[in-house]
Amino acid sequence: MSARVGIIGIGQSAFKARRDDASYPDLVREAVVTALNDANMELDDIEAVVYSLSPDAMVGIGNAERVGVDAVGARNKRFLRVNTGGATGISSVAAAYYHVAAGACDVVLTAGADKVGECGDSQTVLNKIWDPTYERQLPLGTINMLAMSAVRYMHKYGMTEEDMARVVVKNRWQASKNPNAHLRKETTIEEVFASRYISWPVKLFDCCPQSSGGCAMVLASEKYIKDRGLDAVWITGVGHCSESYYLGDRMGNGQTADHADAFALRASFARAFKMAGITDPRKQVQVAELYAPFSNTEFHSIEAAGLADLGQAPAMMREGRFQIGGDIPVNPSGGTLCTNAIAVTAMVRVAEVAQQVRGRAGGHQVEGARVGIASGNGGDHQFFGTMVIEA
Amino acid sequence: MPYVVKPGVIGVAIMPRIEGDGRSLEELLYDATQAVLKDAGITIEDVDGIVVASNDQYDGRAISIMAASGSVGGVDRDILSTPSAGEHAFVLGALRVACGQYRTQLVVSWSPTEASSIPEAQRLAADPYFHRRLPMDEQASHALQASALMAQVPGLDAAAQAVLRKNRANGGRAYPDLVQAPAQSGKPTRWPLPADSMAPPVTGVVAILLAGEDFVREQGRTDTAWIAGMGWTTEPAFLGDRDLGEAPALREAARQAYAEAGIDSPLDSVQVAEISDATPFQELMAYEALGLAPRGEWAALSEDNRFGANGSLPVNLSGGVTCLNPVFCTGLIRIAEVANQVRGRAGRHQKAGVKRGLAQASSGMAMQYQTVIVFDREEKGAAA
Amino acid sequence: MELLKRKEAWNITYTHALGETASWFYVQLRDHAKIYGKRDAKTGRVLVPPRSFSDQSLQPTTDWVEVGPGGRIETFSIVYEEFQNLPPPPYAFGYVLLDGADTAIGGFFKGVDLTDPKAASEKLKIGTRINTKFAEKRVGDVLDFWFEPEAG
Repeated sequence: MSARVGIIGIGQSAFKARRDDASYPDLVREAVVTALNDANMELDDIEAVVYSLSPDAMVGIGNAERVGVDAVGARNKRFLRVNTGGATGISSVAAAYYHVAAGACDVVLTAGADKVGECGDSQTVLNKIWDPTYERQLPLGTINMLAMSAVRYMHKYGMTEEDMARVVVKNRWQASKNPNAHLRKETTIEEVFASRYISWPVKLFDCCPQSSGGCAMVLASEKYIKDRGLDAVWITGVGHCSESYYLGDRMGNGQTADHADAFALRASFARAFKMAGITDPRKQVQVAELYAPFSNTEFHSIEAAGLADLGQAPAMMREGRFQIGGDIPVNPSGGTLCTNAIAVTAMVRVAEVAQQVRGRAGGHQVEGARVGIASGNGGDHQFFGTMVIEA
Repeated sequence: MPYVVKPGVIGVAIMPRIEGDGRSLEELLYDATQAVLKDAGITIEDVDGIVVASNDQYDGRAISIMAASGSVGGVDRDILSTPSAGEHAFVLGALRVACGQYRTQLVVSWSPTEASSIPEAQRLAADPYFHRRLPMDEQASHALQASALMAQVPGLDAAAQAVLRKNRANGGRAYPDLVQAPAQSGKPTRWPLPADSMAPPVTGVVAILLAGEDFVREQGRTDTAWIAGMGWTTEPAFLGDRDLGEAPALREAARQAYAEAGIDSPLDSVQVAEISDATPFQELMAYEALGLAPRGEWAALSEDNRFGANGSLPVNLSGGVTCLNPVFCTGLIRIAEVANQVRGRAGRHQKAGVKRGLAQASSGMAMQYQTVIVFDREEKGAAA
Repeated sequence: MELLKRKEAWNITYTHALGETASWFYVQLRDHAKIYGKRDAKTGRVLVPPRSFSDQSLQPTTDWVEVGPGGRIETFSIVYEEFQNLPPPPYAFGYVLLDGADTAIGGFFKGVDLTDPKAASEKLKIGTRINTKFAEKRVGDVLDFWFEPEAG
């Protein structure tokens, strides 16, 4: 069996709507420098780089990882890019993990950045993710795709628009404590209701922003960490799982996955939990950063993570169990709902959990967090990556 | 071998040129997956994980892995993608097997010709800050590289022509039904690339099944191409930051792979090689960086034919990219061809008695990404 | 200091092969205003729109089955925001399980006043019976048909 893999350095930007002061590779470099400083390392110490970048069209550069090679200092080093849509960031950490777990490298950097604000209209780009044969002729985008998940979740479990607003209020309050979050202004249920409908039942405040910024992490082998007496937290569980490409196959009769829920996210967590030896996440996990770009999707993510029974997350949210100070705080950073730089959003989930179990999350620290979980979703709610991080 | 579990190739399906039968991309991926499962004699239930590689701009899909989840068996499975290069999907798949957490991995890469212009798709890879306004597609970058090399090596043209002749002869033998006679326009499109030297882009798909030593042992398999060494590297982004007549990233990738495989002298160690020959100049540069023939020896190649089909080390018995050019998956095809040579399943172009083979794959502008894989017929010692 | 910006557009078109299965489906739709699914022989499920293989069973699909024109709404959304290169809002679209089908097909919903989101969402709620309407002039595209609630 492979030895453990640790996280020894973390860097992330203070995310914003625009970063006109920095080019795309500049943003990547900013995150890399922060992570290397955190690890007290030099670029020369890095043996391999996994580049985290989702659709090229978002940054407007084809194979934009090539332009990023210098930003991550990968010249003449092992280098590859991972893309699983919105899950890319966590898939990249997983890919870096495999480099170390396989024994190929002792120290691996994973990094990326996004400038979603520069792509004109992300929903126009994202319409082109659907297959040209049947689904692309429809005005699909990620917002209405997940609005349709909300409609099914409401139908199955009775979620209300007020339940959705409660997620926004919680996450904005938590983001107000996180200096790296993009939307940091607290809000109220009334304000959420006053915001305009984008795609019924999703209102403007139920949606994530388009953010610019970067994230980077340094992973190392247990031997490297022990030999040098470094501080580390450990990746003890890793999983991925996928669903059908076709939204219409997630409804009807006899489907594997229901578009209301997050079937493959549950399966992905099951894999990560098995690897980490977690049998009862509600007892064994103290903090969760779950990829949820729209308020409604936080509910099925909580359930897929095993932190609530199917359909029970809204009621538990009403009781305050998923906020800082509650049983298991979910998205104490404010989550994807308050910051979404797509290429690294799912990496930020892992980075935030790692900071929590390191006890270095600052104003949004969850007291006593020792075991945390992270997830990322990509494609049309299709690719799901999960991780367990332990102190 | 530093790996926790030793990985090897147990199945290969190469579809290097698919034309005019109207199948959709998803249908092609489905067919390639079924073919590689058949070649390996296993079912999809035996597949633990998948890594695919494709290019959004060639595919006309903003996240082209999405089309793969259903067609390659990704539903309810673990699937990742490495859009940087087809060969990177192989590397990541091999690492996933090597860490002992997966028994098998399916690796698939594809390259369609549905875009109105592949050069235009490639031009989008030029950064909008300094290079987008230049006519910089991959062929243009290869031409700039050839021109830089030409300034360093006298008599380069004749050596390049010899590489072309060798690869065309090989391709005609290996894939007689698929390889077209080169066009005879006589007009160079990008000096100094020889006129009519570039095979036209075609649609292609390649699929490989990887398995760990335990899986191979349990199944009693004897046709595995074991991975003895892997190296993968990158050059910097801007061509202006490089000496285009040198391939330092390839030298480093070769060093990594040879160190893992315990190779001191590649010429004495491998019996067959496949090299990414987007241009004959790149094949020559790879000879040098891989330690097969320094530039001082290139002039002699047309005489001694040492890398020809009957030479001491046949290179590109498949005919290489010179003959069949499914652009994005040409690198992974080099790896698949060598795996088949080592497995004794290369078909018409099989060389007898291959014990060890060498694959080199490059991708991007002027060979930005370099990957080197060494395969062994025998499982030499378990992993570390 | 002066920070510059540059506008860039990507101009590539694609000619995607649809394959035999989707081609036959679209020809029936275009020439006969009929919607067909294809059966997964292993599970018996009828896939609409038809695929040449099932991504659940990974088996090729076999026989054609005509489905609809009636069906029920499986999900929907009503879009009130304008997006570049997408239709002017408001519009409603979503997925319908046509009679005889086991998977849902996407299409626009028409014949519902979308001015009031609450009232419109009631008219389109999951389970609502719909009829499929076909355009007079059809081109072989999913926009050749749309759905209207039976109750009107």
